[in-house]
Order: sequence, then C-alpha cells, then structure tokens
Amino acid sequence: MALTSSALLAHTTDLELVIRHVLAGLGQGVHAGRERGAGVEFSEYRAYAPGDEWRRVDWKLLARADRYYVREAERDSHVAVWLLLDASASMAEPSRAIRGLDKLGYARMLLACIAAIAQRQGDAFGLAVLSNGRLQFVPAARGPRQLQRILAKLQAVQADGALPDAETLKSGLRFAGSPSLIFAATDFLDWPSSLSEALVRLRHMRHDVRAACLQTDAEITGGFDSGPAYRDPEQETAVFRFGADLREDYLRNRARHFDTVNGTLRAHDVPLVNVQIEQPPGEVLRAWLRQGARR
Amino acid sequence: MNSLWWFALPVLLLPIWWHRKKRVQVKAEPLASARFLPRTEPRQMRVWRWSDVLLLIVRCLLLACAIAWLADPVFPWRGDTVVVAEGSDARWVEREVQAAGYGAAARLPLPAQEALGWIRTHEREFRPDARLLVLGDIPMPAALPQFRRLVMLRTQAEPIRPAETHVAIFSTRTPEWRRLFSALDGPLRVVVDARPGPKTELIVWDLPEAPPAGLRASLWWTTDTGAFTELAQSKAVAGIRYADGARGRVWASTAWPPGDPAAARALLDTWRELHYGPAPYTAPPLDFAAADAPARGYASGALRDFLLWGLVALFALERMLSHARRR
Repeated sequence: MALTSSALLAHTTDLELVIRHVLAGLGQGVHAGRERGAGVEFSEYRAYAPGDEWRRVDWKLLARADRYYVREAERDSHVAVWLLLDASASMAEPSRAIRGLDKLGYARMLLACIAAIAQRQGDAFGLAVLSNGRLQFVPAARGPRQLQRILAKLQAVQADGALPDAETLKSGLRFAGSPSLIFAATDFLDWPSSLSEALVRLRHMRHDVRAACLQTDAEITGGFDSGPAYRDPEQETAVFRFGADLREDYLRNRARHFDTVNGTLRAHDVPLVNVQIEQPPGEVLRAWLRQGARR
Repeated sequence: MNSLWWFALPVLLLPIWWHRKKRVQVKAEPLASARFLPRTEPRQMRVWRWSDVLLLIVRCLLLACAIAWLADPVFPWRGDTVVVAEGSDARWVEREVQAAGYGAAARLPLPAQEALGWIRTHEREFRPDARLLVLGDIPMPAALPQFRRLVMLRTQAEPIRPAETHVAIFSTRTPEWRRLFSALDGPLRVVVDARPGPKTELIVWDLPEAPPAGLRASLWWTTDTGAFTELAQSKAVAGIRYADGARGRVWASTAWPPGDPAAARALLDTWRELHYGPAPYTAPPLDFAAADAPARGYASGALRDFLLWGLVALFALERMLSHARRR
C-alpha cells in the first residue's frame, strides 16, 4: 500500500490516515539532514502531544511523575519548509475519471505529506494558502502541534475566487533569514500570474522553489464530455463549448500555454513536476522530492 | 343561455400564464481549462417554473367560481318525488302514494295553483330517471303541459269554500238592490253592511249628490253619472260606463237596478268574473308521458347563494395571499 492509489484516497478526508499510507514506503526526507536520530543534544522536557514518537517519551520521568514527557533535542535544521497552496476556484476542477477527487484535494494531500516529512525531520514548516484574493499564513514552526495546525488549516481550505494580486504576494511572501525550501502546488492555468511572479522572485532570493503543476487526465487528453456547456470558474462571463472537432485546437492551445510555463520556469531554474491527479500520490511525491537531488 | 358562460373557462389560462415564468437558464459546468476552448453563445434553456402555487390555485378557483356563478349550473339531485298540493287530505294522499308505488319517494309540498308550473321550471333539478307523482286539487291548466319525464297527476277535488264580500248600499231603492244581491248563487256570498267599513269592496251609490270625499272602495256602482266627475270622459262596454278615480273604480248605468232577471244575472256575472275570477276547475287524473320538450324558461339560481359565498371567500383569500406575497 505504499503507493496508495488516488481512487482510494478520494474516499477519505482524514489527512493523517492518508499521510500514514502514502509515507509508509517512501522512507525519504526532504533534504539531506545533518543530524541523525532524535535528541542528540538534550535541551528540555516537553509534555507529550499526540503524534510524538513513543521512543522519545522519557520512561523514567513517567515512572517518577506519572506523566508523559518527551525529550526535546537541539536539532535545528537550518532549512525551513514552506508550503504554498493555490486554492483559487480553478483548483476545484474534478477528475473526470475518479469520483470525489479534485485538484485541491490532491494538492492538500501532497502538501500534508511534505509537512509530515518535514516534521519527522525536525524542520520548521509553514503554510501559505492563496485563495479568494487573500493570502492566509500559518507561520513556520516545528513539532507535532505545528503539523496538527497545518493539517487543520489544509482541511479547512476551500477552492474559491482568484489568486491574490501581485502586491499582496510581494508583501506577504518574504521568507527572510536562512534559505527556505518552497513547495508550491498550483495548476499554472494563469500565466503569467501573481503566483508565477512570486515564485520567480523567491527563486531569485536564493530559496529552493519546487513547483507542482496539477492537471487531470481529461485535461491532458482533451477527454471532456461534449454535452454540457462550460464556464471558466474564475471568469464568470463567457460560456465555452467542447466537442470532438475542437480537441485538436484545445490540445494545441494547451500545449502552447504549458510550453511557455515550462520554458519560463526552466529559465529561472525553478523545477516543475507535472502531476496528473489520477496518478498514485506516492510516485508523485517521490518525483517531487527528487527534484532537488537532481539539481 | 347561461350555460354559454362555460365557454369562458379558457380565462383560467390567464393566471396559469402569469404564474408560469419562462426563465432562460444557462446550464454550464465549471471547467478550469475552459480558457483553451473557443467561446460560444450561451445555450438557453426554457424551463417551466411555477411561482406562488397557492395563489395560482386560489385565483383559478376564483375565476372558475365566477364563471360558474354566471353559468348558473343546476345539479340534478332530486329523485322520485311526490308533489303534494298544500291542503290535501292526508289519508287520501297516503292511499294514492301506496297505490302508485311511491312509498320511498320524497314529499314536496307545493301550492296547488303552482305545482305543475313549478315542476316545469325546476325540471333540471330532477335526475333523468326520476318519476313524479302530483297529488291534490290541481287546477286544470289552460294548455296541456309537457315534461321531459313521466309525471302522474292524481287529483281530488276539494269542496269550494264559501267566500264573503261586503257591500254597502246608499240608495232610496235599497230593497231592490238587496233583492239583486240575494239572487247571487255560487260560493260567493254578499253581506250588506249598514255602514261602509274597511272590508267593504263594493259601494252602491244610488243618490243624486256626490259621495263624501273620505269614502273609498275598490268598486262603486252608481246610477247618476253626475255624482262622479271622472265619468265625464269614460268609456262604455255593454251599457256600463267605467272609469278609475280617486275613490276607486266606478261603474255607471242609468238602467240600474236591473229590472229583469236576465239583466240582473248579466250584471252579477260580469262583476264576479271581473273582480273575483272564475272558480278553478280541478284537472282529471292524467299521465304525462316523457316528451322531448325544448328547455325553456327554467328556474335559475339553484346554486347561486353557495357560489356567491364561495366567490366572496375566495376573493378575500386571494387579496390576503397577494398582500402577503408583496411583503
């Protein structure tokens, strides 16, 4: 079950369960950590919180105080992991093949897995959600509580509205200090957009930016139903039609668009992984994490 | 004629038309990559959507009720019926009912004079298979009536009740006048009053002077035309001049009081026929077979009261509902 299929994941909304399944066979970190194991250098005791590893519980202290305490170690990695989630209305695009699966759900799951990996590695991690013209932040921190915060935030996200404007992102997305690892999950349908500018800018600020472009199988192959009329979820004005006669044009327009996206990102040294949401998330996650190693 | 109003029923389509709103709806699914597709005209869908169904129902009922009120429908609810003339002998009625086999039929008391006419005008209220039995002292109609169903007529002549009429005589020849009235035969009896009262119907004025102004009666007989000014321009029929005045109708003849029996009988018969009418003649037992008589002159308004109340209630309800909708 290491590479749990998307179809199974579509059935649950419990992110912790998903994380456990997806990460079961992954066994790979976000970056090459310098410290091994938990608690090389003791720093303090902390009350046990759900999600803490049992082996880090201090059993002697439990015997003395009849309470669970966890040994906190000095193991600050120098890397902060930032998760960028595009939750604009277009991310609500469902998979036409698997019922109950959509881009936002898939992105939520990928980012939750990365957060879990970061937590296990002892990295600080934070979340930025771009939705409905606003930027919502969960500041970077470490530990299982932070993971719970991030998961709760991810769980509550709804795909709505458009991306925030460039000014908001410019003032909001400034990760000062040490170089960060930035995972951005979006569909790159708006190009150029405020998000693309922000990613390029962050890359120029020496952050390690890794983008995932989420798309559905129907989008890639042009396999839409020709019956209903369609509308763009972010531009409510026009109505669009699809048919077998329009597939060639559609695929050509789409290829041109994503050629531009790929070309621009490559030019700015931002690795992009194209994710088809019907793929098993384990594979996708592995490919996304490996990007840094390849660089 | 009234039933032509049923053709106004298509008016009900009007509120239905008002309450059915044709909405143009664009049914479009969101598609994230729609921007790679060509634009098209919105597909318009015509849908039926009902607004305020309760108000629609009330308005339709209101219109239907108004049309029904105008069309004046009759519901045939009467079955076998025995029409009994008022004042008939109960035992004779029972005997006739049993003899004709109408034991279970409904009884309907009616005045004897109007019984046949009433049945004719209310014939639509009877079910098609209903039979009728008419009992009592039913007078012979002038023309043989026709009914759309079987109507049996069984009659029993009632003894004619004597009637009284009061007469006042102002004359120097009073015995002659009294003799004239005592010769009257038949059910009508004359009572000669010494002084005219409110019941006095005939005043014989056989005096040369004019009668006092306050004296009134429905008929005056006079021998002196000079006593009544209204006789100046009067017409004459069979030697009797007549005129209507403030005191009442006046008959005048200089040949009165009549000297021979024939003239006396002629005067009395004329008086009785013109002022009291002929005595009704009881019809013989008859069976009217069902005839395809044309419907004419039917009674109206059988359901009008109910419909009118319904109309008022529905109108009030409609006003309240439309007021509540505006709020």
